[in-house]
Amino acid sequence: MNQKKTTVTLEDLLKVKRAERPAAGFWAGFEREMRVKELAAIVEPRPWWAPLIRVGARVTRYQLPVGAAAILALSIVTVREYRTSEMSPAYAPELSASAAKLESSLALAAAPAPAKLETPRPAANQLASEPASESTTVTPAQSAIGQRSHAIALLDAAAAIREPTPSARYIAANLAAVEAADPRMIDNVFGPSVRGVETREPVRDPLAQISTPGDSRRARLLTTSLPVMATAVSVGSSDRVARRLTEERLYDTITRIGLKGDRVAIKF
Amino acid sequence: MDAVKPLGKTLVASPDRQQEADSDIAIVRQVQAGDVAGFDQLVLKYRERVYGIVYHLTSNREDAADLTQDAFIKAFQSINRFQGQSSFFTWLYRIAVNSTLTHLRKHRLRTFFSFERMDEHDAPSAEVIAALTDATGADRETFAHELQEKLNEAMQKLSIKHRTVITLFEIDGLSHQEIADVMDCSVGTVRSRLHYAKQLLQSELQPYIRR
Repeated sequence: MNQKKTTVTLEDLLKVKRAERPAAGFWAGFEREMRVKELAAIVEPRPWWAPLIRVGARVTRYQLPVGAAAILALSIVTVREYRTSEMSPAYAPELSASAAKLESSLALAAAPAPAKLETPRPAANQLASEPASESTTVTPAQSAIGQRSHAIALLDAAAAIREPTPSARYIAANLAAVEAADPRMIDNVFGPSVRGVETREPVRDPLAQISTPGDSRRARLLTTSLPVMATAVSVGSSDRVARRLTEERLYDTITRIGLKGDRVAIKF
Repeated sequence: MDAVKPLGKTLVASPDRQQEADSDIAIVRQVQAGDVAGFDQLVLKYRERVYGIVYHLTSNREDAADLTQDAFIKAFQSINRFQGQSSFFTWLYRIAVNSTLTHLRKHRLRTFFSFERMDEHDAPSAEVIAALTDATGADRETFAHELQEKLNEAMQKLSIKHRTVITLFEIDGLSHQEIADVMDCSVGTVRSRLHYAKQLLQSELQPYIRR
């Protein structure tokens, strides 16, 4: 009945470890701490990125298919964008008309022929209205696809020469609009070389550009006393003043003018 | 055979476990519906078991208390995501074990022991201590302390995964399948880890083993 244990195995030793238990009083403190933590967890707002972590953890299981799908989608979008930009609507009708001409000419070229035959003049040459002095000879071994690609390349080149690019047209329209609004602005910004010959200012008499000593003296006095407000100076002197006037000095003079309520204070 | 069984069924194989799992699910549904006080029942029911597993993994009572509380808080915060595919107990265990493993990995180099007192009224352990002290003639209390230290040291020498398996199987009494579900690995892996862990522990605790 009261037999003593003589053998001790590893499992028996681990039973001793199982006997390590907290005392009854431990659970009172545990519950108190637990309440505090529960309240803190309820009060503390979860960060906005907490759900993203869960989503990310789910997505990591499917790294390969998700990555492959993303790459495929990106490549499809890129190819589509590239094609749409390449085939802009300005060129599409012209190309389709030229392509119809090419189709007919290439159909003739692809037809069975003797060992040497004379090909019709390439469509690009027709469009460029160059003299068709030379006629190329091709063998039947040359494929119609090669001819077609060559002709399309020439067609593109000719179209590019004749037609301005969309960006060039856009810039020209903008310049025209600015010119209509303020004709002098283009000269001031880009210089007179940008404008056409008809928009250039007429050459003025050199003697008329020379200001009198009185004008220059008055301009100097006005510049030193009221540099910002001196708007009544002559054109010639204001140019010189503008060249002399550094940014620092301009800033310095601006800070001398103070606006308070209904008063303007100028410091000398 | 065990490996192909669905998760929810394997964890509640015995009728008692099935009943327990059903009552847990009912409480969880209450909590999910907004009856937050129902969660206290679950805390009261499982706190000792969760604390036990965390304590045996860390060998530190303060860390074990903190990690147990954290596990319950995490379970409370995520209770709406519990869908009942496994039993609540397994779900809670998984949270506790994962939190503990994260903590152990983070503090791998810092190991402080802080032991719980051994229950003197626990018959199996008293029997083992008696068998060992009768042979050597040592004082029982002193010997019990020494054995406790050696046991915890030997446990901490195991890797985290081996320690988890041996704790869940030998101390907490979970089945292989339950451990596999908690640790998210196969039953074969559990058996292999258990075998290896036992071998290591036997070599460490050789002076205390009597054949």
